[in-house]
Amino acid sequence: MAALAAVGPPNPRADPECCSILHGLVAAVETLCKITEYQHEARTLLMENAERVGNRGRIICITNAKSDSHVRMLEDCVQETIHEHNKLAANSDHLMQIQKCELVLIHTYPVGEDSLVSDRPKKELSPVLTSEVHSVRAGRHLATKLNILVQQHFDLASTTITNIPMKEEQHANTSANYDVELLHHKDAHVDFLKSGDNHLSGSSREGSFKETITLKWCTPRTNNIELHYCTGAYRISPVDVNSRPSSCLTNFLLNGRSVLLEQPRKSGSKVISHMLSSHGGEIFLHVLSSSRSILEDPPSISEGCGGRVTDYRITDFGEFMRENRLTPFLDPRYKIDGSLEIPLERAKDQLEKHTRYWPMIISQTTIFNMQAVVPLASVIVKESLTEEDVLNCQKTIYNLVDMERKNDPLPISTVGTRGKGPKRDEQYRIMWNELETLVRAHINNSEKHQRVLECLMACRSKPPEEEERKKRGRKREDKEDKSEKAVKDYEQEKSWQDSERLKGILERGKEELAEAEIIKDSPDSPEPPNKKPLVEMDETPPVEKSKGPVSLLSLWSNRINTANSRKHQEFAGRLNSVNNRAELYQHLKEENGMETTENGKASRQ
Amino acid sequence: MPTVVVMDVSLSMTRPVSIEGSEEYQPLSNMDDYDKTCLESALVGVCNIVQQEWGGAIPCQVVLVTDGCLGIGRGSLRHSLATHSQRSESNRFPLPFPFPSKLYIMCMANLEELQSTDSLDCLERLIDLNNGEGQIFTIDGPLCLKNVQSMFGKLIDLAYTPFHAVLKCGHLTADVQVFPRPEPFVVDEEIDPIPKVINTDLEIVGFIDIADISSPPVLSRHLVLPIALNKGDEVGTGITDDNEDENSANQIAGKIPNFCVLLHGSLKVEGMVAIVQLGPEWHGMLYSQADSKKKSNLMMSLFEPGPEPLPWLGKMAQLGPISDAKENPYGEDDNKSPFPLQPKNKRSYAQNVTVWIKPSGLQTDVQKILRNARKLPEKTQTFYKELNRLRKAALAFGFLDLLKGVADMLERECTLLPDTAHPDAAFQLTHAAQQLKLASTGTSEYAGYDHNITPLQTDFSGSSAERM
Repeated sequence: MAALAAVGPPNPRADPECCSILHGLVAAVETLCKITEYQHEARTLLMENAERVGNRGRIICITNAKSDSHVRMLEDCVQETIHEHNKLAANSDHLMQIQKCELVLIHTYPVGEDSLVSDRPKKELSPVLTSEVHSVRAGRHLATKLNILVQQHFDLASTTITNIPMKEEQHANTSANYDVELLHHKDAHVDFLKSGDNHLSGSSREGSFKETITLKWCTPRTNNIELHYCTGAYRISPVDVNSRPSSCLTNFLLNGRSVLLEQPRKSGSKVISHMLSSHGGEIFLHVLSSSRSILEDPPSISEGCGGRVTDYRITDFGEFMRENRLTPFLDPRYKIDGSLEIPLERAKDQLEKHTRYWPMIISQTTIFNMQAVVPLASVIVKESLTEEDVLNCQKTIYNLVDMERKNDPLPISTVGTRGKGPKRDEQYRIMWNELETLVRAHINNSEKHQRVLECLMACRSKPPEEEERKKRGRKREDKEDKSEKAVKDYEQEKSWQDSERLKGILERGKEELAEAEIIKDSPDSPEPPNKKPLVEMDETPPVEKSKGPVSLLSLWSNRINTANSRKHQEFAGRLNSVNNRAELYQHLKEENGMETTENGKASRQ
Repeated sequence: MPTVVVMDVSLSMTRPVSIEGSEEYQPLSNMDDYDKTCLESALVGVCNIVQQEWGGAIPCQVVLVTDGCLGIGRGSLRHSLATHSQRSESNRFPLPFPFPSKLYIMCMANLEELQSTDSLDCLERLIDLNNGEGQIFTIDGPLCLKNVQSMFGKLIDLAYTPFHAVLKCGHLTADVQVFPRPEPFVVDEEIDPIPKVINTDLEIVGFIDIADISSPPVLSRHLVLPIALNKGDEVGTGITDDNEDENSANQIAGKIPNFCVLLHGSLKVEGMVAIVQLGPEWHGMLYSQADSKKKSNLMMSLFEPGPEPLPWLGKMAQLGPISDAKENPYGEDDNKSPFPLQPKNKRSYAQNVTVWIKPSGLQTDVQKILRNARKLPEKTQTFYKELNRLRKAALAFGFLDLLKGVADMLERECTLLPDTAHPDAAFQLTHAAQQLKLASTGTSEYAGYDHNITPLQTDFSGSSAERM
């Protein structure tokens, strides 16, 4: 519009030569010759097959011609210009030869006068150029003509929505039914065309020779969100863009409501064939499948594999899905190495992380049935943790230790077991094992994940007999204990399902690996070159233990102390860096450090 | 996928052969007894039945069982083919079928028999006419029950092998059968069209609310049925003899937790779909589909291949996890959504465009100005807004006379103002009329398209505010 305004109306007093349509036609041919960005990309992409990229176009010229011979003169001009420009384009990288050009000349003349130019259907003037002439009266006749042409040129079809209830402008409490005609791609009518449902079409509107298919408005009952079986969606435009009925319909749709459309059938049966719906300010005509479904009477999901299981973690997986929803990232992002990051790949990575340990049924898990574990479970799956996350995880673990001390009951499933199920300490052992499995699945994410595992290993309880044996530090018994544990593990695993079994084996493998390290760390074996804190913790019994039975409190505070001490050792290497926190615990570190060393020595004697 | 079995029931077919294979399919159409083979009318019948039942978009398999005798005289295949080029729209040859199809011709004869006449050539023409979609099967060796069964066995292997895949969501997986078998898709606009086939690894990439995905157009939809892959049924012969075994195996499988059931349950409860990657630049969605109150199922719909199958989601590759966003795009209370994406340009129906195709359009716009002119100064803002809209349109259309005309009308309004009118009204009307006249000259600086007529600043503005 702004461009039109800049040109302004022709000045009747100016030289008629300078506002001749010939300038426009020449400019049109020039523009057609210019390579578009898309063509350029396609040519570069195809390299040796560059000639496969086409360059066809159409020139629509609205003018007032003086006579048929004037029209012929215009045609000759276009023909000549194409010829010349194609010669130029042959030797140019930024020009392309025109392979086919359609010239549509629309001669328009004032209402009330006689046309001096006759209509002429499409005619081939040369292998490159075809031309057609339309002679129309000005005003709305021209608009109607353009409406017909636009349908031909862009493969459009027309649908008229009938029975749209609309409040009257004058009498707000009455409503009348209106019709609105829409244009859209003709594929939206594909079912009518193929089935030859002729009674639907054929209602040609006065003045125009085009046909429109009538569909009836179905007032939406609810805002119920449904997933319809839709086979195509095509953008629409009302023919009368700003008429009151049109804007009423489009505003209704733009406000987010959808309208189902019904085929009027003589038999009286109701067939919903289309739906109008807007998506982000664009209105689409959805084609809904109205033919017989090919999936009649399918088996229910409850009849198939896994259909008889009743304790799926449906709510938890729902939460999981919400956390793994997608969102558009329109600005490009880059990885550390400078390569482009694909958001969808990030989404897949996240799914991988979030499902490393994900039991599918309630009776398969303890920790995911415990509210107390949530703060840890929700963050441990993250790619990286903040200091606060680590702190929360540690708090969660301490809290669990506290629960164990207080002998709080755990939500252990008793499905498939006789009697009351496992004893309380056995329950905690199962819970700790599971928690360890979860945390271990993520230790490679970051050093902070590692720290969470270290905390867990320091705090988790072991069966008393196991600790007894460890205290004595006898390698053989250690081994026995290990095999016993493996058996127990297996028993626990047995109730797990096929898909989980493999994962279980993997986890056991990891555990065994960890235990192998423990054995290496026995008095007989040489010191490992890089002693991991967690290994040390498992192997180093607290000093009180060797003196006989201990109170829960001393056991507890001892664990906390050793956990803290380990934390300090971890920081020890970084003491030179500016870290005030490390300094804070300096004295503790010294005390505990000495203790552990002494104990370590003592146990090794 | 629907199958139509067309049986040649001419007398020449009454050789003693029973065809057990066909019991597996649901015959939709059996032609009545005839004493001669009339293939063209049979194919027309197929056309009509399929279109009535399934429309034009559902792929169908047409299995034509014949003995390779093509009939004689009018209505014979030779006659049909000979007149093929002289058809009008009304008696169009039924091939190619007006729906996606495969035409399988099962010949109750061996290759030698067929080659002795031109039968094979004619049948091959049929496949060609169906755009090459289909195949001819012949009997190996003498005509006997065993050989006929083996011929149908080949058809089953080709056209009725189940599509097995692995559904994955990170580490959660399930073996599934996708039914009906997804058809290869040929992208229209590519220069060297290669049919795209979906992966056997169906990888979930994330989830979207049903309201956001919003009934998207799909190529086809399929049941996703969890299967227990244990006894090597990869190359299944199809039929197991021991039904009891099967039943107990099914019962055991029913009690083993399956990811499909978990996924289905949560999708249904949450009203969401899972976006699944089917191949490079090809995606689909998984969702719960209820057949009736009790029965519901996990379904998969395939989007059209391409980087951006749904404009309102944007490019699929640009969809990422919400945890990467600065703040949750769904809001803390789950009360908003990043979808739909807004298109770059507003559509004409989504903005207040000025259209004067019909006289009524122009009349309405002028009347709006006059209506507001009579309610000055209360409606000053609306008055100038409408005035500027008309001015812009008139300048763009080169309709400068209109500006002069409206200026005259405003001056006339000014003279008709009642005595009770606020004095500001007269000032504003005179000012507006004068500005329009300046614009109508088309040359002065006042005729700039981007220029807006602003209200005249008057001393009455204070008192008018008081009045309000």
